[in-house]
Amino acid sequence: MKSNKKSYKSSPSTNKKSKNIKVNDVIITSCANVVLPIAIILGAYVIMHGHLSPGGGFQGGVLIAGAVAILYVAYGSDGVRKLFNITRLKASESMGALGFIFIASLGLIYGVGGYRFFANTISKGTPGTLFSSGTIFWMNFAVGYKVLTGIGALILIMVSSLNSNKE
Amino acid sequence: MLLNYIGAFLLIVFGLYIILVKKNLIKIVVGMSLLDTGINLLLVSVGFRPGGTAPLFMNDLKPGSFFVDPVPQALTLTSIVIGACVTALALSLVIKVKEHYGTIDADKVRRLNG
Amino acid sequence: MNGYSSILPLMAIMLPFLAAFIIALTGNKALGLKRVLAVIFTFIPLLAVILLFKPIIENGHIVSYWLGNWVPEKTWAIGIGLEIDAFGLFCGLIITLTCFLSSIFSIRYMEKDNGLEKYYTMFMLLTASMIGFVFTGDLFNMYVMLEIMTFAAIGLTAFRNHKYKSIEAGFKYIVIGSLGSSLILLGTVLIYAQAHTLNIAQISAILHGNYNAVTIFALALMLTGYAVKAFLVPCHTWPADAHMSAPSSISMLLSGVMSKTGIFGIIRILYMIYRSKCVAAPSMEFLMIFWGTITMLIGASMAIIQTDFKRLLAFSSVSQIGYVIVGFGVGLSAKTSVAVTGTMGGLYHMLNHAMFKSLAFLCAGAVLYRTGTTDTTKLGGLAKKMPYTTVLFMISLASIAGMPPFNGFVSKWLIYQSTFEAGYWPVTIIALLVSVMTLAYFIKLAQSVFFGKIHKEHENIKEIPWSMRVPMIVLAAVCIFAGTFWNVISDKLIEPAAYAIYNIQGYIDVMFNKGYAQNMFNHEIPIPKMTRAMAGYWSPINWLLLFVVLIIGFIVIASLLSKGNKKESIIDLSDTKYDTFTGGEKEYFSHMAGNDLFWGLKHQFRGYFKTLKNAHSGIVNDYVLWVAACAAVVTIYLFAVL
Repeated sequence: MKSNKKSYKSSPSTNKKSKNIKVNDVIITSCANVVLPIAIILGAYVIMHGHLSPGGGFQGGVLIAGAVAILYVAYGSDGVRKLFNITRLKASESMGALGFIFIASLGLIYGVGGYRFFANTISKGTPGTLFSSGTIFWMNFAVGYKVLTGIGALILIMVSSLNSNKE
Repeated sequence: MLLNYIGAFLLIVFGLYIILVKKNLIKIVVGMSLLDTGINLLLVSVGFRPGGTAPLFMNDLKPGSFFVDPVPQALTLTSIVIGACVTALALSLVIKVKEHYGTIDADKVRRLNG
Repeated sequence: MNGYSSILPLMAIMLPFLAAFIIALTGNKALGLKRVLAVIFTFIPLLAVILLFKPIIENGHIVSYWLGNWVPEKTWAIGIGLEIDAFGLFCGLIITLTCFLSSIFSIRYMEKDNGLEKYYTMFMLLTASMIGFVFTGDLFNMYVMLEIMTFAAIGLTAFRNHKYKSIEAGFKYIVIGSLGSSLILLGTVLIYAQAHTLNIAQISAILHGNYNAVTIFALALMLTGYAVKAFLVPCHTWPADAHMSAPSSISMLLSGVMSKTGIFGIIRILYMIYRSKCVAAPSMEFLMIFWGTITMLIGASMAIIQTDFKRLLAFSSVSQIGYVIVGFGVGLSAKTSVAVTGTMGGLYHMLNHAMFKSLAFLCAGAVLYRTGTTDTTKLGGLAKKMPYTTVLFMISLASIAGMPPFNGFVSKWLIYQSTFEAGYWPVTIIALLVSVMTLAYFIKLAQSVFFGKIHKEHENIKEIPWSMRVPMIVLAAVCIFAGTFWNVISDKLIEPAAYAIYNIQGYIDVMFNKGYAQNMFNHEIPIPKMTRAMAGYWSPINWLLLFVVLIIGFIVIASLLSKGNKKESIIDLSDTKYDTFTGGEKEYFSHMAGNDLFWGLKHQFRGYFKTLKNAHSGIVNDYVLWVAACAAVVTIYLFAVL
């Protein structure tokens, strides 16, 4: 490991200074290439099965937002900035929250058994299958989307302020 | 069951001790997070019923299954989210303090006093 | 209640949340759209509160609403319920009115900053969470709304992050505020472990008569946690920094309104959940009155030695909150007629303090907007250039000092009378003394900032624009109205709210069915009779007795102090205005600032003031130590007496 680091320190391989830890190492990049799809799929699974197993919107969203952190470790801040646009992330966050409020107010409009906010009005299937429990299924998506864009934007901002400090 | 409560109490006391004694601002933020973790552990252990299983609707649901109390688990989820947000906000403020003051020692960040 | 009146509180809570996310969606374009949305969506909750007046206050119903249609099953509450009685509506009126006026003020005040979409998003979140906090009937929902309120307030305090003050104040606020919230959460967890439900009405019905050590510990923790939010004394160190650094349209909300939510929490706990332990209990009465008195004294003493405009106003808020807590402390007394007077005094002072403190902060904001500084040693003589601001500030001064045609007189009179009749006459004397000190430091402030000679660099300032004057004029009009037409306000607002605080039976019954509370409590709960005549606002006998007691006390203290100290007093000679006048001075003009008006008082008590000034050291660990010590002391006291 030590010899690896020494040989990379002197090479002008990337655009980073030698004192930083962000070196485009082949090992880290190939590990990230394998782990990243697994993390995203696992996060999507946890969001979708929130009513059947432990998990739900917040947990799955945080797992997917971890993808931003993995990308930063592997590809440096340039790679992250190419892929994610921070204005679009912020706009998507607000849309996730608006989606949550919209689904909650469906109870006011359709109102099975009395018009109440947050009422469960979409049809509940048989308990235990994927399409059951009415509005909770769709609310998981709204919450998951908001959390993943929100925490992704947060990690992006912290990372970019870190970069501008060092250079 | 007693072990959970002792662990939660110890975590709360340690978290409070760190906020009181340590001077580095990041250590204070770690102490706040530890305090929140202790309270969450206490909250989950309140809902335990001996002999119960996890409160989930699975495929083979029989009437008369014995669940543990699901309400404290929902409350803990909310509390974990709030704890994460507090940590994120506090760490952003620590970054800004370093920019303005040049140091993160609590004894030197005291221009507003008196 | 059914019909449209049960949908109104929901609209009042959810529409500002909706507006917050729509504003966040617009990014940093379309500033005019953001301002219009903010003004409209703070006006709609005000309209909803005014429309709810008729069912709640005139007809005397209590509105309840179960979210998600989860009605109680076999009289066991399983859902989150909103429950609004007259006391909640009273607090809701204060909150919506001040938020609406603040949104009008920030149209012109915040025009020089950028990043305004973050400001308006957090502002709408603050409004929505404050309204949600007073309208809810569920214990954990109160904690969640309190946390949203804390985050929005911290974000707004640290909004101008090019100044070092905002960042340091924001960090201290988040450490102390989150410690307070953790204490509240711990108390909620312990109450849930005993009662197995989260509905406030059901908890108070179940806990009646079943108090054990766990619930008493929970009471101590929740009292300390809400004391951090409402800044009572050992936990009063964060508002001095936070209100100084926040933009002025937010300072008025933090100081005038968020403290009221802390007091709302204390009242829900003392008067409703722990009803049979605390109401008519002399030990709890002593605790709250003692706590309020210390808060009054230390707040006023710290305010005399300040030199910054907004920091002085923050300490003044601390001292006025002490008055409110003393009023509610008397409300726990066993003599019911005195208790009712105390509660009414506390409620009236909540309303008055929100009004005149918001007006004072808006004046500070106007001065900051035009001159760019709030340091009173650099300001002076602004009365000629800003006449409207001066007149409005003098109205606020007269209200806070308690002069008769303004509203401060009415509420302070109620508090003096109730503490005197409850038998706590030292507290009355201390309250009068603190009122004199309040007048002193406000006159000092007016002299430093508005009168005197104007500095050279402030020669060309103009008056503030009209859209900033309108909220200040509205607040001043409310001050004058509440002072002269006190009978209207007392009938329509204060008496129904005081009745609702004691009406625990109605509160519980609305959630379930009639007779549930009676079954749980095993007896009919008496509600004391309250009429306006009981308040004795102008009763001459009390006035005469008070005057005689005060004269005797003053003679005794003066004779004790005049023997003994013949020490030399060393005058600080570094400032040239204390030199003897022999001609050839260094400066022509030495502004007779407010700091020199009470030089004699400050010099005589210099030991006391120096101790207080050094005690507020600015280190965050010290402040946390005080909160922890307060929690320990309250716990030990409660275990000893209950």
